[in-house]
Amino acid sequence: MREHITRDQRRILRADHLALGPYTLWAALFILVPLVFVAYYAFTDVNFQFTLENVQRFFTATSSILQDDGTSVEARTYLLIFWRSLKLAVISTVICLALAYPLAYIMARAEPKVQKTFMTIVMIPMWMNFLIRTYAWMTILQDTGIFNNFLSLLHLPGVHIIGTEAAVVIGMVYDYIPYMILPLYSIMAKMDVKLLEAARDLGCNGLGVLRRVVWPLSLPGVISGITMVLIPSVSTFYISQKLGDGKIMLIGDVIEGQYVANNLHFAAAIAFILMILLLVCMALMRKLAGRRVEGGL
Amino acid sequence: MKPIAKVYTAILFLFLFAPIAILLVFSFNSGNSLSVLSGFSLYWYKELFHDANTLGALRNTLVLALCAAVISTVMGTAAAVGINKLRSRSMRAAMNTVTNLPMMNPEIITGISLMLMFVFAGRLMGLATSLNFGTILIAHVTFCLPYVILQVLPKLRQMDKALPEAAMDLGCTPMGAFLKVELPEILPGVLTGMIMAFTLSLDDFVISYFTSGNGFETLPIRIYNMTKKTVTPKMYALATIIFFVILALLLVTNLMDDDAVRERKAQRRGKKEHTLSDRGKKTLAGSVMGVAAALIIVVSVAGGGNTLELNVYNWGEYISDGSDGSLDTIKDFEAWYEETYGQKVKVNYSTFASNEDMYAKLKSGAVSYDVIIPSDYMIARLAAEDMLVPLNFDNIPNYQYIEPQFRGLYYDPDDRYSVPYTYGVVGIIYDANQVDQADTGDWDLMWNPKYAGKILQFNNSRDAFGTAMYSLDLDVNTTDKAQWDRALQTLLDQRPLVKGYVMDEIFNALESGEAAIGAYYAGDYFTMVDAQADNVDLQFYYPDPTNYFIDAMCIPSCCANQDLAEIFINYMLSEEPAIANAEYIYYACPNSLVYQNETYQEDMGEEAMEILYPDTGDFAEKYNKLAYRNLSDEMLGYMNTLWENLKIN
Repeated sequence: MREHITRDQRRILRADHLALGPYTLWAALFILVPLVFVAYYAFTDVNFQFTLENVQRFFTATSSILQDDGTSVEARTYLLIFWRSLKLAVISTVICLALAYPLAYIMARAEPKVQKTFMTIVMIPMWMNFLIRTYAWMTILQDTGIFNNFLSLLHLPGVHIIGTEAAVVIGMVYDYIPYMILPLYSIMAKMDVKLLEAARDLGCNGLGVLRRVVWPLSLPGVISGITMVLIPSVSTFYISQKLGDGKIMLIGDVIEGQYVANNLHFAAAIAFILMILLLVCMALMRKLAGRRVEGGL
Repeated sequence: MKPIAKVYTAILFLFLFAPIAILLVFSFNSGNSLSVLSGFSLYWYKELFHDANTLGALRNTLVLALCAAVISTVMGTAAAVGINKLRSRSMRAAMNTVTNLPMMNPEIITGISLMLMFVFAGRLMGLATSLNFGTILIAHVTFCLPYVILQVLPKLRQMDKALPEAAMDLGCTPMGAFLKVELPEILPGVLTGMIMAFTLSLDDFVISYFTSGNGFETLPIRIYNMTKKTVTPKMYALATIIFFVILALLLVTNLMDDDAVRERKAQRRGKKEHTLSDRGKKTLAGSVMGVAAALIIVVSVAGGGNTLELNVYNWGEYISDGSDGSLDTIKDFEAWYEETYGQKVKVNYSTFASNEDMYAKLKSGAVSYDVIIPSDYMIARLAAEDMLVPLNFDNIPNYQYIEPQFRGLYYDPDDRYSVPYTYGVVGIIYDANQVDQADTGDWDLMWNPKYAGKILQFNNSRDAFGTAMYSLDLDVNTTDKAQWDRALQTLLDQRPLVKGYVMDEIFNALESGEAAIGAYYAGDYFTMVDAQADNVDLQFYYPDPTNYFIDAMCIPSCCANQDLAEIFINYMLSEEPAIANAEYIYYACPNSLVYQNETYQEDMGEEAMEILYPDTGDFAEKYNKLAYRNLSDEMLGYMNTLWENLKIN
């Protein structure tokens, strides 16, 4: 049967498509065109002549790294930095997920009023500038800081955290965990409680319910949470500067350093490569997760 | 809730609020340190309300967040309505991908990509300033949009599709149907989207950093630019106030919610009203926007009928700002100018974190400033690239107070482009309680393995390589790459001993005894002494050779009103503001009105005068030999590569 469209429906449709107009224009102008500019700068030199040099430099530049035994080895500078950034970002993302998942579940099961309070508690820190909050972490984590004073109060030996990768990870987890909690919570709040009850009735224990019902249903939230934590972690430059005591250089630091050194074309090249790598990673993850979702239930 | 869930939640919330507790506590610090508590005081709150620049930055941040939230909510909601109705699957997929892009892209890429485009477009249209409030707003709207769309879309999907149609059957126009029927249905999503957009815009630093320009400084940028001089508890005081404002807001919304619940219980009607959380969100969003608008009005500096504008670009924390009863230089200039010339002038004062940072913005051609205050080697570079205009000294009679020894220096041999503002020498600061007196005196202290893990090095390539080159007695301006390699080797040898590569963090680290040794700019030593912990005894000396630097006022070629800029420079050289600035910055001042002034000498104290104004013999000779000079692009690139090599070890 041919679908019958009323005159009203057509009018609504036309109006709704019209509503999309400004955004389409905006997205083209301010999302797509700027990315073309990144590519343009990445593949040109200072005179805007085509070149592959910037991209090549990212993959081939080397530095000598001193090892513990005093000898030095050659390493690919930017690949190594990228690898380190990715490592720290992945660790932070996994920790965020591990910490946020139970919290989101607890929040989603609480009374509506408590839920709302929890939501605001999670969001309040984001209202206080992130630079200032990161700065405060220095006061907590340094060797003579609050955390170590607390340990010595308990007659425990102090730990050296500031300036280590652990400090950077703590900073990342702290700054980005709300971005993991929020999507997880919103998907879990929508979850049908009856499904969980049904699973229990059919003989699942707590862990089984979690593994077979809750986890597969929450996967879209997990994926957007991972995206929203991994991406800013991989590219941060302030957290590594402050909490890494300037000793840990991440890919974001390199981009910022090249920008400040007025080396825009190389900065654009790194940005371009980073963007492509991340988009490929994300696409792969979504694909894998998509398969899990289909086969999970 | 189970007890274990309660404990878990409590621990996580403790984690979330630990730094906020620190902010709160240190905002009441009577000292100026962020790591050593010296007593309780409301000093920083008082300071905050006298600091027009910080309040201005707060106002900018709120205005920006409000505008970005409103625009992105309106456009995003409309877009969601449209996307929801797209029939072709490929079209919908395309729209989704584009919408996701800003979320999938690191902020740094969004920032750089927009910056590149704005700069390009600005050049194409021949604009003097392509980065301004407009561009930063566009950038914020762009990264907020996806969040709004993603909040609204699910609500649209849940809505009964027949609703708008029914409304139109009853005589509504499509727009009317949307406003009267659809909008109330999807309102919770719209409001959540708006709150999220507001929050994200408020907190954004990275994208603003790349897309901000002329005179529009947001709070995060202002804080970042304090990199050379240190963040004060004033910023903590500001954060604390923001915290309590939000808390108050939440309490109010909660109370209103309770009323709503009671009302409903009393009515006991089955009718579906807005749910609890809808109403809460509405009140929250309403009150947030209300308070933000009110704050903007309260904080607003009256500025109607200004005819003249002056854009000044300076280091962070590098001008007397009215704190502690001092002169607010900018305000005073505005008042003085109006009184003298009968015309109002508005000074847009913005800050940068480093010479290179400033150069990058200026070189992009996207900003336009009238007065800049870079360092010597950067002045040489700007002059060589025709980016400065020769000054008309007829407008700057106070130049006579600049002593001859500060004239004709290498960076401006004919005294055409610059008027010295401050000068200084790099020295070594150490904690006498941790460091043996016998080990001090020269650069070797920074390479002494006895103090492994207690040594701080500059987190700025030029200064860090400088320490190595001075210690090796090399020419810091050499074009011989082998010498630079030697310096790198020296820095690599030092790396295992280094606690951290720092700029402003050096203040906290030395004040608290966390580190024991660091090289920094002479005047800053006194800031640290003022705030040092009880068990710390900071001392200072000049190694030889060491770096001499001068920061000077210049007029860039993008200047719009040269006469006004020169009047400003002349004003900065006059007695009262010059002294106020010198006392605030705590660096040496080349202006004889300042350092010969007895009150100034008394205020500074004998020790400070001795350290800040060391007897160098022939200053010009020493300076010309030891100061940093402009390096060629090739050498800069090489230094940058070596620096990255040092950092990845």
